[in-house]
Amino acid sequence: MSNPSQTSDNKAEPTQQPQPQKPPVLEEDDEFEDFPVEDWPQEETEQGAAAANGTNNHLWEESWDDDDAAEDFSKQLKEELKKVEASH
Amino acid sequence: MATPTLDRFLSSIADLVKDRDGARLQDFLQLEPPLPDIYQHMSAELRQRYPTGPKETELLRRCEALVPRSKGAPWGAFSTFMKLYFTFLRDVNVDNLLETYDLLKGLLNQCVLALGDSQMGVVVLPTVLYLSKVLAKLAMGLDRRPELIAHLLRLEGRSNQEEAAEKVTLVEKSANVVREAFIKCLTDRSGTPGVHGKPEGRRIGIYLMANLCLKLLFQCGKLRNAEQMFASISAQSPPLTHFPASQRVTYLYYLGRYLFSNNLFHPARIALQASYDQCHHQAINQKRAILTYLIPCNIIMGRFPSSHLLQRPEAEGLADRFLPICRLITRGDYIAFREHLTVGPDTEWLARKGILLQLRNRCEILVWRSLARKVFIHGGFHGDPQGQAQRGPPPFLYLNRLEAAVRWIQSQHAQSQAGFFTPRLQPDSQAGQTAHGSQIIYKAPDWDFEGVDELEAQEAVASPALLEKYADYLSPDSFFDAQGQPQMNAPGNLVDGPPAADYQQYELDPYANPTPGEDGKPTPMMRELESILASLLTQGLMRGYLTHKNPRLAIPGARLRGAVPTGFPNVWQTIQARESEDDNVPGWVQPPSATALAGGGRVVNLAGARPVGVQ
Repeated sequence: MSNPSQTSDNKAEPTQQPQPQKPPVLEEDDEFEDFPVEDWPQEETEQGAAAANGTNNHLWEESWDDDDAAEDFSKQLKEELKKVEASH
Repeated sequence: MATPTLDRFLSSIADLVKDRDGARLQDFLQLEPPLPDIYQHMSAELRQRYPTGPKETELLRRCEALVPRSKGAPWGAFSTFMKLYFTFLRDVNVDNLLETYDLLKGLLNQCVLALGDSQMGVVVLPTVLYLSKVLAKLAMGLDRRPELIAHLLRLEGRSNQEEAAEKVTLVEKSANVVREAFIKCLTDRSGTPGVHGKPEGRRIGIYLMANLCLKLLFQCGKLRNAEQMFASISAQSPPLTHFPASQRVTYLYYLGRYLFSNNLFHPARIALQASYDQCHHQAINQKRAILTYLIPCNIIMGRFPSSHLLQRPEAEGLADRFLPICRLITRGDYIAFREHLTVGPDTEWLARKGILLQLRNRCEILVWRSLARKVFIHGGFHGDPQGQAQRGPPPFLYLNRLEAAVRWIQSQHAQSQAGFFTPRLQPDSQAGQTAHGSQIIYKAPDWDFEGVDELEAQEAVASPALLEKYADYLSPDSFFDAQGQPQMNAPGNLVDGPPAADYQQYELDPYANPTPGEDGKPTPMMRELESILASLLTQGLMRGYLTHKNPRLAIPGARLRGAVPTGFPNVWQTIQARESEDDNVPGWVQPPSATALAGGGRVVNLAGARPVGVQ
């Protein structure tokens, strides 16, 4: 068990690093698992590791509007609107 | 009879208490099977020497000797706890899990009382945490496999009672005990309290206990009980940053989920993103749990997961869950979107995670924006392409184009419904055909209320105009009562009570009620589409204005940037700009910053102040 009274000054020992975990199963348990270590330095965080490896940090697409007129739905919609236009 | 094992155990405990070694004390107080032999010996000794009954007083006496007597009031709660621990060891029967649960809960309760001691309490903090975890594990296990204790509940006659009243599950009961421990940690009076404090004394346990309690509350679905916890943390906890990473990440995950389930997506996103960023980079399962909420949070706020993110190991399987939703938002087919997020076996995963309804209810407006945008691109007036006509009309869209598009979508889905391969009903495709109610959302007629419109018309109150028109008949100056006696009538008094509103049979004008729709008025569907567009405009997801007569959407001020970017600004940037005015995350205690100190302290330099009006 992790010991709360030894938290802040006891950085995780290298040997205590979490083992690479099994790939997630789709019907996994809904619980948020306990971490095998109590604390870790900034370099070992997701953010720190990404910065150190220079990995791609582009996580989110802000521009997703679909301007592809050739896409099926758009194409059919365009045809349909042409018909409306013609009838007016 | 001698009790050598117990004697040695007690003497070790006494030393640990004297040394205030909470970690080793917890290590000694094992109770989860399989227990080492020494505990079996001790259990046998306890059964022989201290069986249930008067001998227990002797046992308590021995436990009282464990507490140092030197300072202040004795730590009586600890002695009682130790006695309970021994009787637990002596009596526990894991074949009866319900009884085991009750014993364990009693033990934890007593340990929490011991935790409350201002001097010694912190020594049992690791034990409280350990017992809480064991109790939580047992309660959640039984929650998942209720058949293990169903017969016991029946035997005790508990099952019926509990179903009658509001059911308090074992998980919720456990959460309540753990919350007591959390409060003891939070309200430690030693050291500096609140935001300027450090995790010292019992405060080091604040987030350990909070996280465990939150786990239990999420498990039993009693999120409302968490609200008070977050409020107490905001008011009394030291900044979260002073606590170890595992506690921070776990806490921010639960806080983010709580905010998400309260539709507070902006603070939820901040908390979840921080949880993800601070998570250990190898903790795949935890990162995956965080992404399960971080991704829908971003989608709702108009930002989709990148392919780079979805290729990460922790995102395995998530692309299949979320990408179709993103594609449907982009496409603008609102019926397909609703269909995709209908409650059913396909959406069971989203529902179980508690993200289905949020996605369905919050993202549909984005689907409508996509549709309006596409209709504008293909059927709108984009302004003078040469940009010469300074006084030309702004770009606009006749809303009947949008109406035509909606009817087309409805007809497409109605057709596909008839197809052999799509037996599932898509009722919203019928909405445009109904005579009453929404033209966008289909509601099956309720036969109980058939003809209610006619009834209403008869029972409704007659209009003042009608009363005025037939005043000489409805409220005459005098009338004959039931006995045939002439009576004077007060002015305006309705002799036969209020008449029906539907007075048509008395009406001589055959054109008084023209058939709706023939007078060139907009259709009911147009009215609904206007509301949807008005909502988009109000939320800033579209820019421009609507004209109600001859319904149009006009996009002024588009000369520089072009009609489409002006009329349909970037969703994420729009929402983010509005929401980021307040980046405070309720429940997340931040260290007091320099500026906040100046403002919060209200120290104002008045050296340059002069009386009003003095030059």
